[in-house]
Amino acid sequence: MNDIYSPERGAGAHEIIKVENVSYDYVSGEQVSRGVRGVSLTVRKGEFVVLLGHNGSGKSTLAKLLNGFIVPAEGKVTVEGIDTRDDKRIYELRAKVGMVFQNADNQMVASVIENDIAFGPENLGVPRDEIEKRISWALDAVNMSEHRRRSPNKLSGGQKQRIAIAAILAMYPDVLILDESTAMLDPKGRGEIMETISRLNKEKGLTVILITHYMDEAIAADRIFVMNEGRIIKEGKPREVFSDTEKIAEAKLELPVASRISAELRRAGLDIPFALTDEELAEGLCRLK
Amino acid sequence: MQIKVEDLSYVYSPKTPFEKVALDGVSFTVNEGDTIGIIGSTGSGKSTLCQHFNALIRISHGKIYVGDKDLTARKLDLLALRKEIGMLFQFPEYQLFDDTVAKDVEFGPKNFGYGKEEAARLAEEALVMVGMNYAEVKNKSPFELSGGEKRRAAIAGVIASKPSVLVLDEPTAGLDPIGKREILELVNDLKKSFLKTVIMISHNMDEIAANCNRVIVLHNGKLLYDTTPEQLFSDPEAIAATDLGYPHSVHIKRLLAERGIELDTPALDADSLLAALKRRYSL
Repeated sequence: MNDIYSPERGAGAHEIIKVENVSYDYVSGEQVSRGVRGVSLTVRKGEFVVLLGHNGSGKSTLAKLLNGFIVPAEGKVTVEGIDTRDDKRIYELRAKVGMVFQNADNQMVASVIENDIAFGPENLGVPRDEIEKRISWALDAVNMSEHRRRSPNKLSGGQKQRIAIAAILAMYPDVLILDESTAMLDPKGRGEIMETISRLNKEKGLTVILITHYMDEAIAADRIFVMNEGRIIKEGKPREVFSDTEKIAEAKLELPVASRISAELRRAGLDIPFALTDEELAEGLCRLK
Repeated sequence: MQIKVEDLSYVYSPKTPFEKVALDGVSFTVNEGDTIGIIGSTGSGKSTLCQHFNALIRISHGKIYVGDKDLTARKLDLLALRKEIGMLFQFPEYQLFDDTVAKDVEFGPKNFGYGKEEAARLAEEALVMVGMNYAEVKNKSPFELSGGEKRRAAIAGVIASKPSVLVLDEPTAGLDPIGKREILELVNDLKKSFLKTVIMISHNMDEIAANCNRVIVLHNGKLLYDTTPEQLFSDPEAIAATDLGYPHSVHIKRLLAERGIELDTPALDADSLLAALKRRYSL
């Protein structure tokens, strides 16, 4: 199957998402609750970006701003040059930025998997024979081809989420946003999803924005944005972000276990490197002897 | 009060093409005072087992005794049983339904026959116990609460009538790190009060190792292990057989052992691992 994504990645890749000084509040009656305040960021094509933050920190608001679910009260969001406030291009935008949510059951629309996958492209007016190609390609991309004619309700949670991802992929998005898409899964299901998106990112150059509470999942990112009270308070590679233990505490997050232990041992005077993974910590201690 | 499970089996949609054996000859005993973890991959029968404890699923094969009550008895007092054994489902915040938080929490006690005033008093107590400001939230709609608050309100609804046993199905799933810690601290606090026994389903081995004194491992509906976290996580065969993985702290201890660094702890949580490392390096 032909690959629709170019392998463009890394520092030379163009900026696919631009968020410029964006603010958004939720207003209901007299109550105003903060969404995001003065957020600016850019994401390059092919990047794997993770948004971290406690519940209510503004992560999901930011994600919804990226595909035009909500539009900024102040500032500007553009995706491949499309301003999210441009009503005339909203369908084009939604096709470019696909979102997968927490509960896979709420995202299934059809009783047979291939029809579920076809739903998105059909709405985009893609011709039937082209849809056939996309179904095969998308199911292959998430390793679910053999389930094509089955019913989604007999699948495990991890398999359902992979179908939900395939349904988005069939629209050939440039950006895939996963909003706590592994929260309801067991460790095996979570592993399946992380393996799938990491492969799509590396092999197909799909731009991925992952919102998660699992620090283990964040370690795999090219870049992490840490949010607190609607603002981005830290940005960088996983090692830079997690070694800033004060900012992690300020954001009410927890370090990965290995990071926490290596940080405490360093503080107590042991000369080992800051560790992100269990293996790094063990290696660091081993070299001491 | 003991809970005794004897040769429990359960089949979904029996004698149809969709027949599925969910539980297959499961036997074990939960002692008063236990915090027992029920673990196993998705589809291993954990939720089916737990729904038997307060007779949401009626026993089709085998026996369960809660104290001296036989759950297969024809004239089982369901109300008394469910008052004794509280049950918190997965994502319980989806079950909040009333127009105010106070009314939502009162719903349980009222069902168990408490009068209006007594139910209101129990609801207030429960909301305070889960760490909420009663005056502030009582007239709020449950839907105005944040994610973590909703879950605590849902827990308040279950504990309002002071059950002695609490069954929790994935109590921390989907919460942020602080929310997770708060829920587990709450359960431990409740155990110092009226709560005697906790039965907890979790996929998070860090939580199981740090909080449970016993674990039951289910696999394809069968009971594979009935042991302690220390025993289970020091048995690589058991871990390999179940897809569950190690808690991080145990995993680190094992990686160190492979490199010739032995520690004097089972390392069931990060704090005891850290303490053991500090001892070893005389920090």
